[in-house]
Amino acid sequence: MKIWSTEHVFSYPWETVIKAAMRKYPNPMNPSVVGVDVLDRNLDPEGRLHSHRLLSTEWGLPGIVRAIMGTSHTRTYVKEHSIVDPEEKTMELCSTNITLTNLVSVDERLVYRPHPDNPDVTVLTQEAIITVKGVSLSSYLEGMMALRMSANARKGWDAIEWIIQNSERENVPLCDLY
Amino acid sequence: MNSVGEGCTDLKREYDQCFNRWFAEKFLKGDRSGDPCTEMFKKYQHCVQKAIKEKDIPIDGVEFMGPNKDKP
Repeated sequence: MKIWSTEHVFSYPWETVIKAAMRKYPNPMNPSVVGVDVLDRNLDPEGRLHSHRLLSTEWGLPGIVRAIMGTSHTRTYVKEHSIVDPEEKTMELCSTNITLTNLVSVDERLVYRPHPDNPDVTVLTQEAIITVKGVSLSSYLEGMMALRMSANARKGWDAIEWIIQNSERENVPLCDLY
Repeated sequence: MNSVGEGCTDLKREYDQCFNRWFAEKFLKGDRSGDPCTEMFKKYQHCVQKAIKEKDIPIDGVEFMGPNKDKP
């Protein structure tokens, strides 16, 4: 079992960041996410928006890893539950893999909220619990996966920034004649 | 972005556009005047649920109650 956590600050207000987070895929930094579907969406009595989504990912695992894991297909599925509270200005996202569960569990939790000292920027707190099951090298593999997650987290932050910047670009007039 | 069900991608994109607009222009601004995407969501869901069954994707524990479980 490995617990990994990190924090990142986006230099954009919370609304901008979560609009991007809701439209995160596709983006050039996460090419392994190949499908996203909303399974359920509803408002709770407190006015918070719940979304349940299914993500399908194509990892392109190296042959040796596939041989060890004994699987010839590389499509994995993740289910994700997010809660957006527009009053409290929080977006919480929890995800877990629903395939390969006999081999590994990756549970992730992300929370986006305005920075307590600066409401114009947004803090993302991200944590993961990784458990590799039934393999004697499990703590080594968990360590490798934690490194992978750090690299992927960085890509995820770049992805959000990319989505924000590409949306902003649409609002820039082509000719500045004033 | 594609749907997990290849035939559902167009329905997904239509729904996503509707939702993203509602999310940005109504929900985040405190406007609770109801969800204009319900019908689109139903069509899209019907397609996705079929694809999930066909592909045997293990999504236990997710309830398919549609977008209006709790109307404000």
